[in-house]
Amino acid sequence: MSSVAAQIPRAISGPKHRAPVWWMILPALVLLVGFLILPYVSIVIMSFREASTRAVYGEGFTIAHYRDIVTDPFIWGIVWRTIRMALIVTVATLLLGYPVAYHLARTRSRMSSLLYICVISPLLVGLVVRTFAWMIILSNNGIANGALTGLGLVDRPVQLLNTQLGVTIALIHVFLPFVILPLLGNLQAINPEVALASRSLGASRMRTFFKVTLPLSMPGIQAGSILVFVLSISAYVTPAMLGGTQGRTMAVLVVQYLVDNFRWPAGAALAIFMALTTLAIVVVYLALTARAMRRLP
Amino acid sequence: MTTLTLDRINKFYGTLHILKDIDLKIGQGEFISLLGPSGCGKTTTLRCIAGFESISDGRIRFGERDMTNVLPEHRDLGMVFQSYALFPHMTVAENLSFGLEVRKVPAAERASRITRVLEMVKLGEFSGRYPRELSGGQQQRVALARALVIEPQVLLLDEPLANLDASLRDDMRFFIRDLQQRVGITTVYVTHDQSEAMVMSDRIVVMNRGVIEQCGAPRDIYERPASLMVADFIGHSNTIPGQIRGRSEAGYLVDTADGPLHAAGTEGLSGEVRVMIRPENIDMASGENTLTGRVTKSIYQGEDCLLMVELPSGAGVTTSVSADFSLSAGDPVTLGFPARKSWVIAA
Repeated sequence: MSSVAAQIPRAISGPKHRAPVWWMILPALVLLVGFLILPYVSIVIMSFREASTRAVYGEGFTIAHYRDIVTDPFIWGIVWRTIRMALIVTVATLLLGYPVAYHLARTRSRMSSLLYICVISPLLVGLVVRTFAWMIILSNNGIANGALTGLGLVDRPVQLLNTQLGVTIALIHVFLPFVILPLLGNLQAINPEVALASRSLGASRMRTFFKVTLPLSMPGIQAGSILVFVLSISAYVTPAMLGGTQGRTMAVLVVQYLVDNFRWPAGAALAIFMALTTLAIVVVYLALTARAMRRLP
Repeated sequence: MTTLTLDRINKFYGTLHILKDIDLKIGQGEFISLLGPSGCGKTTTLRCIAGFESISDGRIRFGERDMTNVLPEHRDLGMVFQSYALFPHMTVAENLSFGLEVRKVPAAERASRITRVLEMVKLGEFSGRYPRELSGGQQQRVALARALVIEPQVLLLDEPLANLDASLRDDMRFFIRDLQQRVGITTVYVTHDQSEAMVMSDRIVVMNRGVIEQCGAPRDIYERPASLMVADFIGHSNTIPGQIRGRSEAGYLVDTADGPLHAAGTEGLSGEVRVMIRPENIDMASGENTLTGRVTKSIYQGEDCLLMVELPSGAGVTTSVSADFSLSAGDPVTLGFPARKSWVIAA
């Protein structure tokens, strides 16, 4: 018997049934390989090169840069500080963003589109411009300190600029939309009658939130928090401009190695080390949240 | 189990008057349907009873207890939603257990009550499944079981059959009614499907634009509609305009453009009225009331034949006749119907 498919008239087996066209992903693939994977590979190679005073790196290979990093308490201090700050930013954006996303998902008010614009407003201003604004706000005679002293909460200005606190505040502001938007999509997809069913069964608002709404919004929480965590860890402009030495993060240190000290192989090793640390945390986090989400559809 | 009283309930959304003086007493164990077109206020009424909507004026009582300002979680009711609203992250058994855990029912009793109610809805072997692993009809029965397992005082159902396919819907009507009678629970059922309300309810409340048009047994609503809206909404009806001339043995003598008609009706009617006749009460021969006209359309329907007749005044009458009658457009016909099956409605 000849192939059945061959007997099907062209009109039926038509264009809709053709296999996906592989070359359609080619442009994206070229971009990814050319501008992400290749540079990454070259950085990995560079991180194993010997240092050189005459060129970007020397001839031989060595693991000395990695050994220097893992045995240096100063670097561990900055790693820990960077991770801690990213965690604080992640938790803070979640706590601040969840109620906003919940409100936006449930409201039928016409004012909600205004709130939506407010939510994405941090992304509408250029990074550098926005950070300059934070410098003005956080400086010793800036608006923040003016308000604190004016209200009598402090006697003299609190040091905000060039501290970790200042960087943390600014990062929370910028990254809030990254947690609100995935959560909003998630919460909108939850049937509002499910919460009502919980209430009708005798559960209070609080119990309904913790037993029904929160578990169902785990996918949004997961997506939003990973985004914010990764972006916070790798943020450069904000800590560089607002952090000074006290608020210096890994990203700032890497650039310092590369640009200021011209230590390319060591800087590359530091960058790879940081990327691996971040990856490890994200993998652990994914495993933990996947456990919490195992019962979701 | 309890009685349920709605005492002149009013509800406003801003300046919109959504519910107007809704007054209703529901007896213990009674099955009441709120029936009406979309936007008539039936779902809002149900949500007010559940406590999801506050009311602007009036009182809601379960038995003697005033529930007007009580939070939904303290009203002790079971509710079934149109979307079923099962908890997607919990198994069937956990869905049922939820309300029992809130009530701090001990684990052993929880298990036995869940088993018993799941048997009742014929889902005994599905207790470990997730809602997404069940068909629509099964999910519907889980929702019903979840509402009943807490043994609430009142059961509220919001168009629970709207998302099921037709054949399943018919089965579920009798299933729900049967279950309700076995449990003996006071039930309020919201639907826009008149045949559903007809076969399930002790009484039907027909609502329109936030007002109760009529409240009565299915037979009252069908045979003795209180208004034109009720007559039109429930089943098929023919209404012929006329004027009351006087009394007759059946009730009233009504003058119409196509001749006098004898018809029953409530006391105290006068002036402009309409006479309602259900298609199934019309014969193809003269009777106590007789009308003559011409066939405008004859549609073969298998079991019978749908006949549209135009009266000399231009009014239309629809009836169904045996498929043996072979009538075609333009043929003259005589229609007869008994006086006691003709019903006068204030125009």
